Amino acid sequence: MYATNYHRASSVQDAVKLKSGADDGKYLSGGMTLIATMKQRLAALSDLVDLRHIPDLTGISVTGKSVRIGAATTHYDVASSAELKAVCPAICNLAHHIGDPHVRHMGTIGGSVANNDPAADYPAALLALDAVVVTNAREIKAGDFFTGLSETALEEGEMIVAVMFDAPARAAYAKFRNPASRYAMTGVFVVRRDNGDVRVAVTGAGADGVFRHSGMEAALAANWSPDALAGIAVDPSDLLSDIHANAEYRANLVKVMAKRAVAAA
Amino acid sequence: MRTFPYQTPVIMNYDAGDYEASLEAAMASADWNGFAARKAEAARRGMKRGIGMSCYIEACGIAPSAAVGSLGAGVGLWESAEVRVNAVGTIEVMTGSHSHGQGHETTFAQLVADRFGIPIDNVNIVHGDTDKVQMGMGTYGSRSGAVGMSAVVKALDKVEAKAKKIAAHLMEADESDIIIENGELKVAGTDKTLPWFQVALAAYTAHNLPAGMEPGLKEGAFYDPSNFTFPAGCYICEVEVDPETGVTDIIQFVAADDFGNIINPMIVEGQVHGGIAQGIGQALLENVHYDPQNGQLITASYMDYAMPRADDLPSFKLSHQNTPCPSNPLGIKGCGEAGAIGSPPALMNAITDAIGNNNLTMPATPQRSGLRSTQPTEEETICMRPITIAHPRFRMP
Repeated sequence: MYATNYHRASSVQDAVKLKSGADDGKYLSGGMTLIATMKQRLAALSDLVDLRHIPDLTGISVTGKSVRIGAATTHYDVASSAELKAVCPAICNLAHHIGDPHVRHMGTIGGSVANNDPAADYPAALLALDAVVVTNAREIKAGDFFTGLSETALEEGEMIVAVMFDAPARAAYAKFRNPASRYAMTGVFVVRRDNGDVRVAVTGAGADGVFRHSGMEAALAANWSPDALAGIAVDPSDLLSDIHANAEYRANLVKVMAKRAVAAA
Repeated sequence: MRTFPYQTPVIMNYDAGDYEASLEAAMASADWNGFAARKAEAARRGMKRGIGMSCYIEACGIAPSAAVGSLGAGVGLWESAEVRVNAVGTIEVMTGSHSHGQGHETTFAQLVADRFGIPIDNVNIVHGDTDKVQMGMGTYGSRSGAVGMSAVVKALDKVEAKAKKIAAHLMEADESDIIIENGELKVAGTDKTLPWFQVALAAYTAHNLPAGMEPGLKEGAFYDPSNFTFPAGCYICEVEVDPETGVTDIIQFVAADDFGNIINPMIVEGQVHGGIAQGIGQALLENVHYDPQNGQLITASYMDYAMPRADDLPSFKLSHQNTPCPSNPLGIKGCGEAGAIGSPPALMNAITDAIGNNNLTMPATPQRSGLRSTQPTEEETICMRPITIAHPRFRMP
């Protein structure tokens, strides 16, 4: 790792100020991607602004069906929140299967969402839950937030402070792990709301990052059952192809994981 | 093959074995005959169940130096050992068999401690230090036990002979009446005894040694095997393949091995466990990929290179059928490579049995084992071509 300056921010305003004063600074949350990248000398940043000690940024609040998760809340805290489990167990289950125990105790929801790794789990949840990403400047709908592979709508210096969503009637996440990295080779988050609206969001498979599958959404809105997906074709032309799985295989996984998620929801 | 030695048409002379014993033990352990019912039950759950077997005979304990010389080897494949008994009776063994996880420090020390009846803590195994170990040919080819320990045995024979001469002289007995038991040298049939350390001390004080004997108690030996050793065994693997994803779940894995005599069963089981894990890695997971365009190694970290991990593996069911090897003093055949030899074919046979398609390339990834595509993709085929084709200068004629 190249030398860098470490700053511990005490508030959101303090963090923004610290970063704006840096030559080439970055916000640091759990550091599960950023620190590893710096250790490999694939990134050389002048300054790191640590967000994990800002009190307002941590914690989960549930009011009725309305959920707010602070950006610096760890995966472990999401996975083990009884309040959250009572209204949306699917997101707790998703968090429980991110990485390994070390990662779950360090990594945070805000860091994962801001990084938007194409195989990360949270982007699928946020997109399917129609979540809102709250930043220091504005609120961004998940559908507008994830703009491509590791790309988001965040402006320079903008930081995530929370994620908000309304807990749905039914939801589940089914993940097929990459045999080496154990990231999602394909992960599908399905949501059904009381009004019959259905969302199906796919991570790990899309050539352009997380995406919704309108064909499966329509089929499940008409008939909420795994069998409803039998006749659905997933087009492999927009999917990733790599050494572990080609696009055709991923297309099959999208459908199989969607079926399994619906069965579990 | 039921009678031994068995001369094969291709040089190797199988010296001892009981192949049916391993076959029968493996089939019984795996409940081979109950497979049809298990397959039917799995089918009711929508899973494709398969069973596979592989039987192997290895040529290990490499190797007779003259034989490898005739095959063009540049070295002889003996092994060396030196046994130094210190004046207080503790023993250092210098061995050319390097230990990098095989547990020689334990097994070799057991051999020495058992031989003289002294505490195992009094035995120190020295390896891998060229300042101390004169010569060695190394650890590979399941040779540490069969060849390396045989060299230690030869050195121990010399140490024992000299120690008995000293003890016989000190106790005024005939050398042939001296026995070594529980850390003492005794005159058989009498109550005369000398503790091991006193004999060692006498060798170094040299106050009262047989006429003409050199002081000290330190001996070296080289052992050149007269034949290869031939471990053999039968491996059975049972899997379920998920037809929706192509994922292989290993339900059970049975290994029945004949390693000849075994010094330390736990270490042998550890070797087999590790070998099976490696074999499963080869058959299911591990693959090196290069970028066909520029030769860049893609699987350069464990984020991309799929190593087998504990949750990829079942608990293994092991058993041993021991027919001693007649060509070396300990009757050892060796166990280092067996697990990695027997496991890939057993696993691949189980998967092909499950999916009903023999045309399956290793590693049998979910994509390949899935019903939709068992052939290597065009992309994979490109990856398998020599990377030198990327540059016209290196193009093969």
